[in-house]
Amino acid sequence: MSVRDVLSPFTAWKNLFRDPVSIADPLKRQAAPRYRGFHQNDMEKCIGCGTCETICQNGAIDMLPVEGIPTKQGDSGLRPRIDYGRCCWCALCVDVCMTQSLTMSNAYTWVESDPDKFRFTPGVDKKHWDDAELGYVRPEGHRLTGELRVHMPEMEPDVRIGSFAEIVDGYSVEQAVLEADRCVSCGLCVATCPTHMAIPQYIAAIRDGNYDLGLKLLYDSNPFSGICGRVCTHKCETTCAARHEGDPIAIRWLKRHIMDQVTFDQITRVVGQPAASTGKKVAIIGAGPGGLTAAFDLAKQGHSVTVYEALAAPGGMTRWGIPEYRLPYDVIDRDVDVIRSLGVDIRCNTRVGKDVSLEDLRNNNDAVLLGLGLQLGRATRIPGSDHPDVRKAVDLLRQATANEDFGTPRQAVVIGGGNVAMDIARTLARLQKTAYGEVRVTLTALEDINHFLADPEEIKEAGEEGVIILDARGPQQVVVEDGKVTGLKTWRVKAIFDEQGRFAPSYDEADEQFHQGSMIVEAIGQMTDASLLGDELTERLTWNRGRIQIDAGGRTSESWLWAVGDMVHGPDVVTAVADGHRVAASMHANLVLKEQSK
Amino acid sequence: MTEGSHGIDRLRGKATLREILEVATGFEASARDFYKDLTPKVSKRIRYLVEELAAEEQGHLDLLTALAQRTDIAEQVQQEIQRTASDSKFSDCLHVPDLGEQPDDQAVLQYAMGREHAAMGHYGELADTTPEGPIRDLFKFLASEETKHKLDLEKIYYEVVHRGGGV
Repeated sequence: MSVRDVLSPFTAWKNLFRDPVSIADPLKRQAAPRYRGFHQNDMEKCIGCGTCETICQNGAIDMLPVEGIPTKQGDSGLRPRIDYGRCCWCALCVDVCMTQSLTMSNAYTWVESDPDKFRFTPGVDKKHWDDAELGYVRPEGHRLTGELRVHMPEMEPDVRIGSFAEIVDGYSVEQAVLEADRCVSCGLCVATCPTHMAIPQYIAAIRDGNYDLGLKLLYDSNPFSGICGRVCTHKCETTCAARHEGDPIAIRWLKRHIMDQVTFDQITRVVGQPAASTGKKVAIIGAGPGGLTAAFDLAKQGHSVTVYEALAAPGGMTRWGIPEYRLPYDVIDRDVDVIRSLGVDIRCNTRVGKDVSLEDLRNNNDAVLLGLGLQLGRATRIPGSDHPDVRKAVDLLRQATANEDFGTPRQAVVIGGGNVAMDIARTLARLQKTAYGEVRVTLTALEDINHFLADPEEIKEAGEEGVIILDARGPQQVVVEDGKVTGLKTWRVKAIFDEQGRFAPSYDEADEQFHQGSMIVEAIGQMTDASLLGDELTERLTWNRGRIQIDAGGRTSESWLWAVGDMVHGPDVVTAVADGHRVAASMHANLVLKEQSK
Repeated sequence: MTEGSHGIDRLRGKATLREILEVATGFEASARDFYKDLTPKVSKRIRYLVEELAAEEQGHLDLLTALAQRTDIAEQVQQEIQRTASDSKFSDCLHVPDLGEQPDDQAVLQYAMGREHAAMGHYGELADTTPEGPIRDLFKFLASEETKHKLDLEKIYYEVVHRGGGV
């Protein structure tokens, strides 16, 4: 071995003092202004809908949870992670982004020794191009999804005011497919729906023309799809990804479309037959959506279910509180008849506490469910409000459903800003138009128009039908002259909430108005008539701030008694449906346990 | 169901801080007793409301009682102060109403809100006219407490009566 051989390895050390051969950015050339370079994601705008992941043709995007970004209504909490080993820079992810949060900078050089680093989450993993102003953004007017919803045909105001015929026509097959096509199937709506309906899937079924599948998906979670297809509060649409740059998908109308396309026989075939009889008996008090959903589930599981309804027909507030022009009675009948087809015995005109005692129901059944609803109207108790011509909206709506003549006033004033107030105002408007040829209804509400509890479309349609809507008016006195109601005196509401957002109405007494009317209708809060419980049971039960205390499964402090629906969760059809499922599961588990412990 | 009118008479005739404190103590005690008496009469569904109101009044009563037992303010309580404009409204509240055999939550709330409103105004005015010291601090505290209670009750009232549903 020569000396050179010994020293030569050390000669490599001289390279330590040389400039590097690999240069991170040898050209230092600015890319074109709209170059599709590295991704940026605006965390303020991103809702984690995952549309970018779905559209990516190379599987380069994964939606992953990110620390510090919680899941909430309308935001999955997930964020896109991009793998630059797969990305082909096509920018489809940017083009489809529902909120325009995802863009591409024109940065194109990035040197790393660790290849795993090239999977990164834009907007979360800080990069030097985060604030780059140049790059690719979706061009103005360039959309991969439809911006506006397909118009729902409906009756013109001057036509619809003459009758109680249903206003909305419903989508044709072609219209429904077009509307369904706008959906990107992100599924943010599913978490918002109280009963977690498989919304993207049933919309896809419409697109595919597969109504049997659509129907099955509806009935998997909602036996009141006919009713909910018309009057659901459609909270799902408030979290729809499409709403960020256009109209939300008309989810409610698409649900209705499926129900409009199928026959009763199709529904019963999809629903199927109940399981073999368990020999267990359940009594349900109240045939509203909550009670009947529980009846549906329990009957399917093989239990014998009898529903006791005080009024002449089932449906609860959907029948006795919602006018026919919004929800035709045959739609309610069909939903209820499906439940009956499972063997559920619905006994109408049977008031518990009068025609049958609660104690008898307890003794003759394995479990009892209360689904009493909120059928009593609250009163303002302002001076003069004890006059017989000061009426409750819920009572009048019930009478209107029963086709009873309650003496249509020539001029009426409605107090309230919720859907019930709109319902009675529009009912009175129709009755007045028929009886007197003109509409003279004034609606006054404490809230300003932007804080009405009623759906915006209800407010709009009421106005179109001639109802005068006055917001921020506080009722002060029902004026009675010579024993007759002549109108309502109101003061302007200066503020309804204080700085902390608490209700603290302040009035401008100088701004007093008199609204003429021979009938004043109170359409404010509602409450349960729980008198059938009796004093003894009321004392035994545990209560929680005015409502029966229940566990997560709806069971009360009495082991044989459950409660469901509006009376425990407040008024909302689809919430009552979700509750019905929960309570039925709890009752079923208890009945099975009872059987096993024998 | 009403307390005797002696409290009002006393308030009309005298205006030392001691006497005002005595009337305020009577005011809180009468309200507490009213709610306590009402508790078994109302349905269990709304008993929480009456019990909470009774507890709040008891809290105020305890504060006033504790103050009265302090020896370091003996001189201050002898001072006379200007009777406030809200005296009459406040005194009216010494008369507790007859809410009937089984009053509902709306009736109880309406009474309680009216009472809190009168107390809020009265304690506020007393705090403005009472010289610096622990009594003034107490009036300030009570005025703020009554304001808070009134707002809380109004919120409950709105949610129960105007906004939606409940038993």
